[in-house]
Amino acid sequence: MIDAGLVEGERFDPGRARGRGTIDLLRSFRTAAALGWKMEANWTDPVLFFIYSVAKPVASALILVFMLQVIAGPAGIALRPFVIVGSALWSFVVSGVAGLAWAVLDDRERYRMLKYIYVSPSSFITILLGRGIARLAVGAMGAGITLAVGVIVLGVPFNLGDIDWLLLAIVLVLGAVTICALAVVMAAVCLQTRQESWDYPEVVVGALFLVVGAVFPLSVLPLPLQAFGLVSPLTWWIAGVRQALFPGGPSSIGGPGSLWQQLAGTLNPSAFEVVVALLLSGAVVTLASAILFRSGEARAKDRGLIDRTTGS
Amino acid sequence: MSGSIQAPAIDARGITRVYKAKPKDVTALAGIDLEVAPGEFFGLLGPNGAGKTTLIKILTTLLLPSAGTARIFGFDVATETRKIRRIMNMVAGGEQSGYGILEAREQLWMFSQFYGLGAREGWRRVDELIDAVGLAEQRNQRVSTLSTGQRQKMNFARGLLNDPWVFFLDEPTLGLDVSAARSVRELIVGWRAAVPGRTVLLTTHYMAEADELCERIAIVDRGRILAIGSPAELKRRVQRESIFRLELDRLAGGPGGLARLPGVVSAVAALNAPADPDAPVRQAVVINLVLREDSALAGVVAALDGLGAHIVALAKSEPSLEDVFVELVGRGFDDNEEAARSNEVPVEPHEAGQPDPEEKR
Repeated sequence: MIDAGLVEGERFDPGRARGRGTIDLLRSFRTAAALGWKMEANWTDPVLFFIYSVAKPVASALILVFMLQVIAGPAGIALRPFVIVGSALWSFVVSGVAGLAWAVLDDRERYRMLKYIYVSPSSFITILLGRGIARLAVGAMGAGITLAVGVIVLGVPFNLGDIDWLLLAIVLVLGAVTICALAVVMAAVCLQTRQESWDYPEVVVGALFLVVGAVFPLSVLPLPLQAFGLVSPLTWWIAGVRQALFPGGPSSIGGPGSLWQQLAGTLNPSAFEVVVALLLSGAVVTLASAILFRSGEARAKDRGLIDRTTGS
Repeated sequence: MSGSIQAPAIDARGITRVYKAKPKDVTALAGIDLEVAPGEFFGLLGPNGAGKTTLIKILTTLLLPSAGTARIFGFDVATETRKIRRIMNMVAGGEQSGYGILEAREQLWMFSQFYGLGAREGWRRVDELIDAVGLAEQRNQRVSTLSTGQRQKMNFARGLLNDPWVFFLDEPTLGLDVSAARSVRELIVGWRAAVPGRTVLLTTHYMAEADELCERIAIVDRGRILAIGSPAELKRRVQRESIFRLELDRLAGGPGGLARLPGVVSAVAALNAPADPDAPVRQAVVINLVLREDSALAGVVAALDGLGAHIVALAKSEPSLEDVFVELVGRGFDDNEEAARSNEVPVEPHEAGQPDPEEKR
């Protein structure tokens, strides 16, 4: 006989239908993050983990650095910090944005558990964020290793004493929130789609790569693309991290003839301007992502997509 | 309306579900009305594509109805989903679900946290359920290494973590071998029997399973409920006469004498040999006896004394639920998929490889 440790009379407690709000949310988030860490980090297969989380971002950065070296010659050395930081941060963006979307696809297609998670009383988005945060952490490790390779192997000048720690802390927090918001948007999209949408996050992030100043300044882009870059919070986040790590270094936003210079009248944005722009654009993206996820989830539920599998 | 114990465990009114699909829309549910009382073991019996899974998806807040309302203990499935999810759980069969990289115990604990149990309480409940479902030896085994039957037991343990008021079981024995299926059925019966008031809604296309487990059954076909009742009530719908298999040690003059008794429709010799081939040869007579009603049996038994015959065995032959289905629908379960193909009857995604029910009207 299975009584699950309960006695008669305990079962119909109306309070059971209410839950415990924030405590339940935190518990679900923590548990999902632990699950995500165990699953996403590929600890069971160190080779896979090394390839995807270390070798891939480092190789991407090295390719860009050597291309710069070939094209610009000795002048390219001065731009190495710019390229290394942008490249390292970009691996973080890719991991973060893809994290939630892949959690949706993994749980629905591979593990067939999405429906059980969905019909649990936990907040669906909280569980997805927990799963995604693990991938974000893996991305952060990759970014850190790329930066370390840049400093140690490529001789990127790096001085801990020069770092603007306050600016770094602020932009890292705001940037993480923004990346999570973009990840939520991709999760909402992937709820609507089939298994071929595994590539969607990388496609979207790849498109953004061109316009947010990751490896070259916005000023080289046509004005409409510069305008797009200026409203993207990722642009300000990358610029903020660069400014914090290498104060006085080249900016990806301003420069002679840039749209920023035309609009603001200054050559480069100040740290304060970067933070304000990141805060505002990040808030808009976060708000929009919440709305999009809510409507996307409702649409998926309405159309029977939550547990749809494609037989893979 | 807020939830309460006084409300029906399940109360569905006019539930309709239409999927937009090519070349034409698919009506999975066409106005289902259903009420299940607290504590009831209720079955939805129907062939593949009948709409059973779609209904369970709606009741478990996984899918919205196109029209109609459904409440679980008074909570609306469309607007009070969180409350419903705290008091119900579900298990589906016929699938290999689970996080392969996790150990069985870890996976269950993870869900205990999603169900709001504390860390310590979660482990206690997990260990208790692992023992209860018979997975003690596999508790630290990775999910990927569990057999289909073991995975389904683990799935059951997950479904019982929050001790649901209503337990939805969607073809829980689908794809299991005989032994594993029996084990799962015993789990269901054991869990329900342990505490009065536990409600179960089971969908199945195994008639024997529905017959064995359910107090009431709704026979479903093409999105409609054709009949509701206890298995005995449903069978009585098609059993207009009582049929007995009567084995006698001898019968002088043959069964014709019985056929003339009041209330006897017919008495026909069925077999003139012992049922057990190893048993000593004897002059047994087996008769298929058809009576207008059970009460006519008393007259037959009394007449046998006069004929010098003694009863060796007596068994009542009952119609099966398949007979009921054939009576209601005009075809058997096995005919359904072919009929569904020829008539473009909706085939449920879960049950038959997903026809891609993209859109809802």
